[in-house]
Order: sequence, then C-alpha cells, then structure tokens
Amino acid sequence: MAVLVGFWELLVRGGVVEFDFLPAPSGIAAALASLAASGDLLPPLLHTLRSTIVGWVIGACAGVALGVWLGLSQRAWRYSMASIEVMRAIPPISLVPVALLVFGFSLRMELTLIVYVGAWTVLVNTIDGVRSVRPELLDVGRMLRMSRLRVVRSLILPAALPSVIVGLRLALSLSLVLAVVAQMIGNPAGLGNALIRAQQALQPEQMFAYVFTIGALGVSLNGALRYASTRAFPALAAGPTDVT
Amino acid sequence: MATVELPGAHDTAGAGDVRPPGARRSQPRARWASAFPPLRGLLPLGAALALWQLAGREDSPYFPPPSRWAQGLADLWERGLLWPAAVQTLSTFAVSLAAATVLGTLLGLVVGASRTVDRALSPTLEFARAMPPAAVVPIAALLIGYETTMKVAVVTFAAIWSVLLNTRTGVRSLDPVLLDTARCLRLNRFDRSRKCVLPALLPSIFLGVRVAAPVALVITLLVEIVTRIDGIGALIATAQRNYLSGQVYGLILVAGLFSFVVNGVVSVAQGYAFRNRPGR
Repeated sequence: MAVLVGFWELLVRGGVVEFDFLPAPSGIAAALASLAASGDLLPPLLHTLRSTIVGWVIGACAGVALGVWLGLSQRAWRYSMASIEVMRAIPPISLVPVALLVFGFSLRMELTLIVYVGAWTVLVNTIDGVRSVRPELLDVGRMLRMSRLRVVRSLILPAALPSVIVGLRLALSLSLVLAVVAQMIGNPAGLGNALIRAQQALQPEQMFAYVFTIGALGVSLNGALRYASTRAFPALAAGPTDVT
Repeated sequence: MATVELPGAHDTAGAGDVRPPGARRSQPRARWASAFPPLRGLLPLGAALALWQLAGREDSPYFPPPSRWAQGLADLWERGLLWPAAVQTLSTFAVSLAAATVLGTLLGLVVGASRTVDRALSPTLEFARAMPPAAVVPIAALLIGYETTMKVAVVTFAAIWSVLLNTRTGVRSLDPVLLDTARCLRLNRFDRSRKCVLPALLPSIFLGVRVAAPVALVITLLVEIVTRIDGIGALIATAQRNYLSGQVYGLILVAGLFSFVVNGVVSVAQGYAFRNRPGR
C-alpha cells in the first residue's frame, strides 16, 4: 500500500498524470490534518457514525423479529413471501427521492432510509436462516416441551445465527452507504454533505480527505462488527470471511 | 402490478412449500419451484395497493395512489423520455458489469497467483472495497467530468470487488493435480489457462458476477440520482425536484422491474451454468 501511495505521489509530482483535480497524497494528508485541527472533521464524522449505528440497530431489531416470525409461520410465509420478493427487488437507492419527497431535508429522512435498508437486509437473511433450521431441532423442542419463546431463543436463533450475522454485516455497510447518499442529496449534515461541499468549492484535497475518512469509517465499522461477532460467537469464526 | 414479470414456471410452487425444508433439494423440479415463492404471497401487496388506490387521496402530494403512478409513466412515455432513459441505464449497467467481470477476473488471477502481490495489495483492496461507492462519485465527477464514462467508471469500481475476491479465492483453491496434469501434457501457457484454469475457475467467477450484478444496478441508479446524468435515476431525481410524486413512484416501479429481471436472469443463468455440477 505504501508503495502505491508513493507511486501516486511521484506520478502527480512528476506531472505524469494530468488530471486537473488529482491532488498528491501529501496534500490530502495536509488537508486531513487541517480539517481535523479546525474542527470541521469531527462533527460530520460523529453525525454519520451516529445515524448509521442508530438506524442499523433499529433496522436489525425489526428485521430479526419479523424474520423469525415469517420464517417460523408457514402460513405467514406462504402469504407474504412473494410480496417480500417483489418489494425487495426495488433498489433502496431509488427510494431516496421518495424519502426526500415525503420527509424533506431532515434527519428523519436520513434515518428512515437507513432503518429501511437495514431492516430488509437483516429480514431476508433471518428468514433464510430460520427456514434452513433442521426440522429435527424443532422436534427436540417439542419433545422437551419447551415454550414457544424458549424454542426461539435457545434453538432457532442459535441455529440461524450465521445467516443473521451475514445479514447484519451486509446491513451495516449498506447503512453507511445510505447514510452518505442521504447526506449527499438530502439531509445537509454529516460526511456526505461535507464531501459534496468540498467538491462544489473545488477543494479536491479536502474532498479526498473526506472520502478517505468515509472509507476509514467503513473499514473500522466492518472490522469492529467482525471482531465483535467472532468474540461473541467463537464457533462462527471458522467460516469463510472472504466472500460477502 | 408486478405479477406480469414473475416467470411462469412457479405454478408448481405450491408443491414446493409443503415439503419439509430438508427435502427441498431432492429434485431439480422441486429446486426450481422452491426458488420462487407461491403466487398467493402477492395477496398482501395487492391488498395494500388496492387499499392505497381506494382510500388514498387522488391529489396527495406525498403518497399518490397507483393510478397516478401509471399516469406519470404514461406522461414520460409520451414525451419520449422514458425509453432513452431506460436504454441508458441498462447499457451503463451492462457495460460496467462486463468491465467489472473482465477486470475483476484478471486482477483476481494476478492477486490469487502470487502471495507477494496479494500481500502488497490486500490492505488497499480491503480499503477500496469498504469504501461506500457514493463517496467515489464526487471524485469521479471531478476527475472525469459529468459524462457517461464517469458513470461506467463508478459502477465498475463498485462491482469489481466481488468478482475479484471470488476469483482470488478460486485461484487459491485450484486443485494442484489439475496444474500438474497440464504440465505433464506440456500445454503451453495459453492452452493451460484456456483448457484447465479457466473452466475450473468459472464457478467462482460466476459467483462473483452473481453478487456483482445487483450491486451494479443499484450503483447505476445511485450515480444517476446523485449526478443527474441521463438515465432512470436522473428522471427520478428530476421528478422529485419538481414534486411530481406520481412520476417518482412510477419510475421506482421501473427500477424495481429492472432489478427483478436482473435477479431472475442471474439465477436462471446460474442454474444453467451449474446444471451438471453436484451439490448446490
């Protein structure tokens, strides 16, 4: 990575690349430092982080709860799955304008979008996970005369966990994407908005600094979740981590 | 509404869901059926839409009833805007997906074949992959300018990762016997890649493309919405700015239709590509 960055620096310094707006990495680092020093970096960063996480948590809870119900009840599944498939096909990005239309430029709009996309992703993965629970497991629960809640808590959720976690991870990165998009064209706050303003002010160094921050945020959120899930459920750590 | 584009093969789907989950993969026919949920599952959606149509106010600025969606689409069609936009979106999508497949496979081969390259590039790849594509749009806009090339660049950038990573994993898990066989037969480099390596890698690459296809479509729409360069996304954004809510909802329907078709094509193609492979 260091080599690549050095190469980039050389290319730009040496005038080999002639894009008008490609700053050198050193310029980006300087911009990042000055943004951090002037306090223009932290508030948008915190805003984006907060709305991503809040939206993701709400969406995940809703998704898991609904997913378990739909996955368990044969009737609910039969009478709703096709609707879910159709609704799911609608790309969440295309709902950004609707949210803008309904909620205007506000935090509500941003959060609604994040919750929506998070809930769908988690919902679909939870349904998959719950439906692929082996029927024998349910028989065990019946034999031990477990209550319904107990069956869900100690048999179904653990069995569906790998699939749920995949859903949670996908949902987290989508939440960040939606947060940034919502901030770019909707709610005027956070990193997405800062990025757009830097672009419009023709400040490529600052813009790259914000992009870098967003990327770093994505990497650390993903890493934190991966760490937390392997920490909490060591048995899952053996699974493939490469392919999302 | 969307009943039309559901593939016809799932009249048999009713049989698929009484079976216990474990038995689902027993026959090709059952597998096919279980891929599509039963049609009566559309009831809640249909009911909700009907209720919306009947109870909703005709002139609601935020939640226009479905009849106004159709009207909005018809308006766009008559003004000759809908068709070119759809072509634009789909061609951007197709070109980018093709580019992502080719580039991703090549890069994946390089990264997978050499430990050194892998170690040198991994951090960069991880970082670039975690980057929300939306954040790349302003960079691409500044560097390339507001044109179709920029759209293709951003979408390719977003779609390339799953192809790349899957190819890399595929290369790593190539059977050494296969390579030895090629060496025994004294195949030259070209023949070796064409006859041994590529066929063995095809499932991995395909898995990557399968993940990449929906991503590419979503990002195409995203770029169009954010930059308003022609396409369905740009139409949606413009309609929203002009408070033409009927058009917005109608266009979202079109976007959903695209995504439905793309998903369908991908899963059918996958069934075809893996038809003589055991297991999944």
